[in-house]
Amino acid sequence: MYDLVIRNGRVVDGSGMPAYNADIALSGNRIAKIGRISEKGRKEIDAEGKVVSPGFIDPHTHFDAQLLWDGYAKPALSHGVTTIVPGNCSLSLAPLRAEFRTKLVGMFNQIEEMPLKAFKEGVVWDWETFSEYITRIRKGLAINVAPLVGHSVIRLWVMGEAAMERTATPEEIAEMQGVLRECLDAGAIGLSTSYVDMDEKLQPVPSRYADAAEVEAFASVLGEYGRILQIVPEFYDADLTIARLDQLAEISLKYGIPTTFSPLFVNADNVDAVDRVMRRVDEQFARGARVWPQVQTRPIDISFCFAVPSLLFIRLPGWYRIMRFGTPDQIVAAFKDPATREKLVAESAVYNALWPNLRLRLVQTEANQKYVGMTVGEIAAARGTTPIDVMIDLSIEEHLDAHFLAADMGHNSDERVGALLKHPRVHIGASDGGAHILSFSTYGDTGFLFAHYVRELNAMSIESAVKKITSETAAIWGIPDRGLLQQGYIADIVIFDPQTINRGEEKYVQDVPGDGSRYIRDAMGVDTVIVGGGVAWTAVAGYNAETRGEILPGQVQDTRTLVPA
Amino acid sequence: MPATELSTVRKSILPKGGDTWQSIAARCLSGTPEAEAVSQLQSWNLHVFMRASGAAGSMRGTNPILPSDVIFIEPPRA
Repeated sequence: MYDLVIRNGRVVDGSGMPAYNADIALSGNRIAKIGRISEKGRKEIDAEGKVVSPGFIDPHTHFDAQLLWDGYAKPALSHGVTTIVPGNCSLSLAPLRAEFRTKLVGMFNQIEEMPLKAFKEGVVWDWETFSEYITRIRKGLAINVAPLVGHSVIRLWVMGEAAMERTATPEEIAEMQGVLRECLDAGAIGLSTSYVDMDEKLQPVPSRYADAAEVEAFASVLGEYGRILQIVPEFYDADLTIARLDQLAEISLKYGIPTTFSPLFVNADNVDAVDRVMRRVDEQFARGARVWPQVQTRPIDISFCFAVPSLLFIRLPGWYRIMRFGTPDQIVAAFKDPATREKLVAESAVYNALWPNLRLRLVQTEANQKYVGMTVGEIAAARGTTPIDVMIDLSIEEHLDAHFLAADMGHNSDERVGALLKHPRVHIGASDGGAHILSFSTYGDTGFLFAHYVRELNAMSIESAVKKITSETAAIWGIPDRGLLQQGYIADIVIFDPQTINRGEEKYVQDVPGDGSRYIRDAMGVDTVIVGGGVAWTAVAGYNAETRGEILPGQVQDTRTLVPA
Repeated sequence: MPATELSTVRKSILPKGGDTWQSIAARCLSGTPEAEAVSQLQSWNLHVFMRASGAAGSMRGTNPILPSDVIFIEPPRA
């Protein structure tokens, strides 16, 4: 008798081959048979009318902290995501000496917009090494985790404060190589670094003080293990991105490793940029290099209130300084002070085309409920004032708890994004899952892929879309035994309705430690999510208490075979 | 495809240890007077030039160039 049999499903197996009708039998954590299954299962699922596919893999997330209080990475798992990659952008939570905890929390707060209070009240700091962190998150893990180790934290571990001031000495580089080996031995899937991010003091993060020799020294260690290097390039400029991907290509060829850079956005202000970057990507792949650009499926929407710093204001230093360093009372006081307000209004003029189009999405007072759903321009007309004054006035009246939405800020050309997503040398990812929780929902990108680009636009087939976020991702990242529905593979499986799968409406929920809130989207059309042969989530019963998530690719001694990317 | 067959893109370098605008100008724009070469480099690399330099007393001092920076040694291509 099998442990679980999924009957009558439409199998989209992750290979890109045409879908077919079949049953799937599971024994333990693996797929035992695909075809007509006459034998009974201890548990059976009827998937009539549904697609049965491999679990989705999200290669760019920042669930590092959330995994400490939520081993399900909610709600990512309910969207069909069975494997996540945290630790991107040079930031991981290990290895980390106790004296740098505050520093790192500040960096996560600044770069990934993770609330300080969530760390304070949701995290018990009982690890320092990467191995200890892995042991910590293994408990209650319902989703698979393929963790990157961050370049910036390895620098802090070895160099201390000097990590934020200078290049490393040969001795320090050798020591950092040793630390990276320890992390890879403990289960890290690769290394992440960043060329753009700023720390909590608005100074460059430690990885940006590394010279090319240091990065190559890390790459040589990754080459020993066949593991991946992830970077954040200067994505706002095509020439810089191309220079960076050329650097990656040389590293990939020299050390025989896959590399990936994220994000790559379609920018309406520079439509030629993506084409130039992709031409270079094609050339470098033709040389035999592996330089995978990551492209997200969703358009850029940003929500904000003035109680927390928003990256939307990063180019308005007067505003950003107040949001970043002011207490709520200080921010309100600044808004009420005529001289300060005058300066802020003047500085905001560069975005005068933007402000009227913002939409008020949430307030607390009864008096202002009538404005919710209106644009700031409409509210300004109703109040007889200007859009920027509406934002300031509402924020004062709501003691900063007025939330605004800047919708469709970019990456919203269906034609151009659709072409990118199906490009054979584009890696679908860059969701930022678990980060920017007060700016936008980072959940549901896979549902949006199927709903918008497969079902509504016919930009790609469902088989291609599934392949992109399953077997291709597993191959790029060297994750063995996953990403395909084949006999002998690990049973990470999603059952969904191809006619209804989607992301739900963005909503504001209070489920973050420290009474914190975040934007999320519920899954739509997903029926069942199976991790390691066990039902992890269903639309009917929700999350299952039995957890089978693993660390991937796992400790070196546990790894059976690495799939060459 | 050998590297020599890659299409031409805007030329750039990665800094050497302790590089400044002047040292990069001397190495990469040796035929141009120093002041002019530095000015050109700064105008081609606003992503570095416009950045605040290190805090007072820091090892980075007044040099805004980070060891990881891409430095363009020619203007944008048309």
